[in-house]
Parts: sequence; C-alpha cells; structure tokens
Amino acid sequence: MTNVVLKHLSRRFGDHLAVRDLNLEIASGEMVAFLGPSGCGKTTTLRMITGLIQPTSGDVLFDGESVVGIPTERRGAVMVFQKHLLFPTMNVADNVGFGLKMAGVEKPEIARRVDEILELVELPGLGDRKAHELSGGQQQRVALARALVVHPQVLLLDEPLANLDANLRITMRHLIRTIQRELGITAIFVTHDQEEAVMLADRVALMFDGVVQQVGEPNSFYKRPATARVAQFFRNSNFLPGQRTGNVVTTSVGDVEVDPDLVPEGSGHVVLTVRPEEVQPVLDGSTEGNVVPATIESVIYMGSYTQLEARIGDETWNVQTSAAFMPKDGETVMLRLPREHLWIVRDDSSEEGAVAS
Amino acid sequence: MSDLVETSEPIGAVRREPLRSRLKIPLMLTPALAIILLLFGGGILVGAGQSFGYFPAIGLNEFTFDYYRSVLTDPNFLRSLWLTFRIAATATVLSSILAVAFALVLRHNFRGSRLATFLFQIPLPVPHLVAASGIVLLVTQSGLFARLAYSLGVIEVPADFPVMVFDEAGIAIILTFLWKEIPFVGLVVLAILQSVGPQYEEQARTLGANGRQRFFHVLLPLIMPGILSTSIIIFAFTFASYEIPLLLGVRFPATLPVVAFRQYQDPDLALRPEAMAISVVLAIVALLLLIAYRRLAQYAVKR
Ligand SMILES: Nc1ncnc2c1ncn2[C@@H]1O[C@H](COP(=O)(O)OP(=O)(O)OP(=O)(O)O)[C@@H](O)[C@H]1O
Ligand SMILES: [Mg+2]
Repeated sequence: MTNVVLKHLSRRFGDHLAVRDLNLEIASGEMVAFLGPSGCGKTTTLRMITGLIQPTSGDVLFDGESVVGIPTERRGAVMVFQKHLLFPTMNVADNVGFGLKMAGVEKPEIARRVDEILELVELPGLGDRKAHELSGGQQQRVALARALVVHPQVLLLDEPLANLDANLRITMRHLIRTIQRELGITAIFVTHDQEEAVMLADRVALMFDGVVQQVGEPNSFYKRPATARVAQFFRNSNFLPGQRTGNVVTTSVGDVEVDPDLVPEGSGHVVLTVRPEEVQPVLDGSTEGNVVPATIESVIYMGSYTQLEARIGDETWNVQTSAAFMPKDGETVMLRLPREHLWIVRDDSSEEGAVAS
Repeated sequence: MSDLVETSEPIGAVRREPLRSRLKIPLMLTPALAIILLLFGGGILVGAGQSFGYFPAIGLNEFTFDYYRSVLTDPNFLRSLWLTFRIAATATVLSSILAVAFALVLRHNFRGSRLATFLFQIPLPVPHLVAASGIVLLVTQSGLFARLAYSLGVIEVPADFPVMVFDEAGIAIILTFLWKEIPFVGLVVLAILQSVGPQYEEQARTLGANGRQRFFHVLLPLIMPGILSTSIIIFAFTFASYEIPLLLGVRFPATLPVVAFRQYQDPDLALRPEAMAISVVLAIVALLLLIAYRRLAQYAVKR
C-alpha cells in the first residue's frame, strides 16, 4: 500500500526536454495508465520513478516521503521493461524466482511461488527452459511473472503486453488486474494503445511530447477531451469551428446550441466536436436541435454499422450510424449534433497542426 | 610465437553459436591448420621421438622409457613442477581477478575514461622480454621502487627492499605476467560488458538486487565464458613460458620449461632426450590441468 506522487517532475537529455513539469498523484492500490505516442516520455517517467535515472528537477514521493535519494533496489518499485529482459544465463524458474532469491526467501518457498505464478501466466512446466528457448510472447509473460511474484509495493509496467496475441492479451490484462487488486499494488502501466489504457486503468494520463495533456477516468477522454489532439488520439477527428455567444455557436453551417451545464463557460472562437458514434442522421425532415447539412463523401458498410465520411462546412466528419442508413455518395443529408454530446475542445491546431482537414 | 597466439585471439568471441556456424569456422581454418600441423607437428614428432630414445644423430635408435623414468624419479622434478604450476596458477588467477576489476571501472564513462582504456591496452603489443626488463628496473633492490622507498625513508638501506627478482617466490615473474595478461583478459571482459550494457543490472536492481548480488548473480555469469577462455590461454602460456622465468627466476629450483631449455641448450647432445621428455610431460600435465579446469569451471557456472 503505497501512494505515489510525482511533483513538477522534469527530465532533460542534452537540450531535449523528455518530460516536462509532470504532476500526478496515484492513490494507493490504484492503476494508472500512461498513454501516449512513441517518444513522448513514458519510459523516461517510469525510470525516474524507479530511480534508474534521476529527475533534472522535481520530486518523486512514496507515501509522502521523497525517494529521490534512495537507490533503486531499496525503493520497492518493480519494473517490467519494454524489452522483456530475461537473464540469459538463467532458466525460466531462476529468472522468475530472482527477486525472491535476492530477498533471501527460502528455496522451497521460492519454488512453490514460482510454480504458482508460472501456472497463472499459462506457462506451467516451462521452468527448466532457457530464456532464449521461449517465444517473444512467452518471454514477456515470464518477465511479468518475475515482477508479480515478488508482490511489489509499486509495479511499473512498460508495455508488458506488446508482443502478445489478442487472446493472451485479454488473459494477461485480466491477470495483472486481478493480482494488482488482490494485493493492493499501486501500478503504472505504460501503453500507446488507447483501448488497452481504457480497459485496464482506473485513470489514464495522456502524454504528448513530454507533457501530460489530460488526466482522468477513461471515459473522460471520450466525453470531454481537453484538446483537439486528445480527441484525435481517441479516434475522434470531428471538429467544427465557430464563434460562441452565450450558449450559441455560430458556424459556417448555421447556429448550434451547447449545453451550459456540460461545457465550460466562455465566448469567442471555439471548436465544437461530437464523437462519430453520437452524430445522428435526421430522417424525418426535422430541423429542431442542432441539425446541420452535410455532403456524403464516402459510405462504407461495416456489417453492424455504416461508416460515413461527411463534409460539414469546410470539415470532414466521421459518422457511425445504424446499418440501415445507407445514403449515396454526393448526397446531401441532415445530421444532428445532439446537445448532450456536443463538446468544446481547446483548439491546439496552431500548436501541432492537429485538427484534421 | 606465444605472443602471436595471444594477441590474435578474437576478442569477445565467447558466445555460444549454433552448431552449423560453430563448425564453419574450423572448416574454413583447415588449410591454415594443415600447414601449422605439418610444420609444428613434424617438430613435435621428432621431439617426442627423441624423448623415447629415437635420436639417430647421436646414434640412438632404441625405443626406451629410460628418459621418462629418469625425469620422473628426479626429486627435483616435482619441486620444479610445483613451482611452474604455482607461478602459472597465481598469474592466471590474479590476472583474471584484477582484469575484471579494471573492466568494471573502465566500462563507465568518466572524465578520461578513453585515455584510461588506451593506457590499459599499452602492454598488449609489448614483447614479454621488454616487459621483463621493465619490471626488473622497477623492483630489484637497486631498482626504482627500492630507491623511492629509500628516499622516502620507508626502508633504511636499499638492501632492505624485499627480494622480488631471482627469488624463489617468483614475484617478478608473476608481476611481468600480470602486467602483460591483465589487459588481455580485461579487454575481453570489457567487450562483453559493453555489448551487454547496463540493462540486466537495471532489471536486477528493480527486483531488489544490491551491488554485490548484481555482480555475483547477473554480471559474473555473463562474463564467465570470457574469463574462462582467456584464463585457459594465459595458463597454457605461463605454464610453458621459459624466457621470463629464465630471466627473472632463481637459478634453482627452476621452472620445468627452464630446466628443459637448459638441457636442450647444453652442448652435450646426450641431454636432449631428457629435455624432450620433460617437454612432453609438461605438455601432458598442462593438458590435463586445463581439461580439469574447464570441467570445474563449467560446473561452477552451471550452479
Ligand atoms: N538516455 C537517453 N539519452 C538521450 N535521449 C533520451 C534518452 N532516453 C530517452 N531519450 C529521449 O527522450 C524522449 C522520451 O523517450 P522515452 O523512452 O521516455 O519515450 P517513450 O514514451 O517510452 O516511447 P516508446 O513508446 O517509443 O517507448 C525520446 O525523444 C528519446 O529519444
Ligand atoms: Mg518506452
């Protein structure tokens, strides 16, 4: 039971700021996912938490105490590396039992716990194999087992499921989650896969370029993305710029009303968004409630739904509708942007050219 | 020749390869090996023949074990063998340990680490004889160290300086071997450490292993194959080396290669079969020791 606090954490490599002023509090027993594209500073952050590298500035606290001066081996934070580093000179059982052996656990007890965890990661009886005699996915599970078996206070997982097939991924996610909950391990899980982050974590921290963009429960990234780039990372690139006055936003395709209880206050230039699955085609000719005209650019039948590309003003939107709705290319249809799903994102297009064209 | 063997040993060629590529290299070496076998194998055959009493040049052509009997029953033989073994074993063990220590330091990036690594390699191309004369200049009772100790007042007269040359302990001999062989082992170990990188130690750290545990459980098993192969080469070389003990050793007891060399050099050709018998015994003992050592080391690594 350890709570982990990252305070103004920064790390510089030469003149490259890999992590910038990161602030995050992870409750005891909580599982947080660090999500972000390659090179955004996820591994660097984990390494600072373990103490394998020192922060350039800022602090790491375990249970309110700074651990920055404490060497890695005494922090009690176990890391599963992105490259599943099995010791090449040891067999699987010795690899898995390594942490217990270092802690001076008795041999029979080590053997028992190693067998038990190998069973759980679905590698029973492979204890005698050498590391290089395993497949990539098997090695990854051994690395996972080696970390879980010591019952760490803090568990840091750097893309531990990257080499697994879909079925094993689900099993291993479940296993990690179960053991983590059972033992009350405080866990940080690094991934660049937003679905994995959403499925596994209590909270997600999304990072771009060394900066945390948004921290929150998984669904907040779908319902309330802070910026256009965050929305895009979660597969929503439906954006419509406009001028806001009170609750009304004037766009190139007409006035649209936002829910003041939902969106933050403000006025002036805003960017509206609605997730693809929340946009509704209007079939009864009604014009009430944020209905805008759109030109269909492509229609893809996906079996259980239809995927539309529709032009709204100068923007291309993605719309997922029921499979029954099959407009033709070039046709003009009416789409409703439901008030309860309409959200305003911060326009960071100037920062990164993020808003889709 | 031993110098050549030593420096041309490929550095870092210690990892186990699949069978096919392991066979490929011996096959490619066959032409070269054939020449070596012809040239040296011929010499060895002639020498072995002489040790068994086949030496037509001086009118001997009766096959006999007499020379072996006389060598093996000589009370000084065991004494020389022990001295030879002790010097070779000490040089091998010490150079391996010190080389690992140096490699552990040199693998880090620190100010001047490149210069340090360069200096570390200097002994490699220096011939053993030159190294030996250098050591003599340093450690005899009239040498640099003795004078330094004298002028610093550590010793009262230069003659108080401990005898390290022409001594029975063979300190100067061992020092010369160390100076020459430490860089050899060190560079092999350094190459392994650098190719492995810090990653396994980092993984071990997060699993709670302290410095000592990381060295014994993670690093040592990784560098052990390198230490093993280099120490075998060093032992084989120091065990059979005659020039350093001849130059720096006490006259009696002499190491076996020195005894053999003296008898070989003797104008009395009748001593030569015995010299050859000593050489053959030396080679067999060295071979047996190396086999035993390899077995032992493999067993130790496996555990
Ligand atoms: N030791 C280092 N020296 C110099 N630059 C580094 C070092 N480690 C990381 N970086 C840089 O810091 C940035 C963040 O790296 P980091 O490994 O944290 O990325 P990541 O988010 O884990 O990416 P990935 O998903 O690809 O693993 C990258 O631009 C990387 O090049
Ligand atoms: Mg990474």
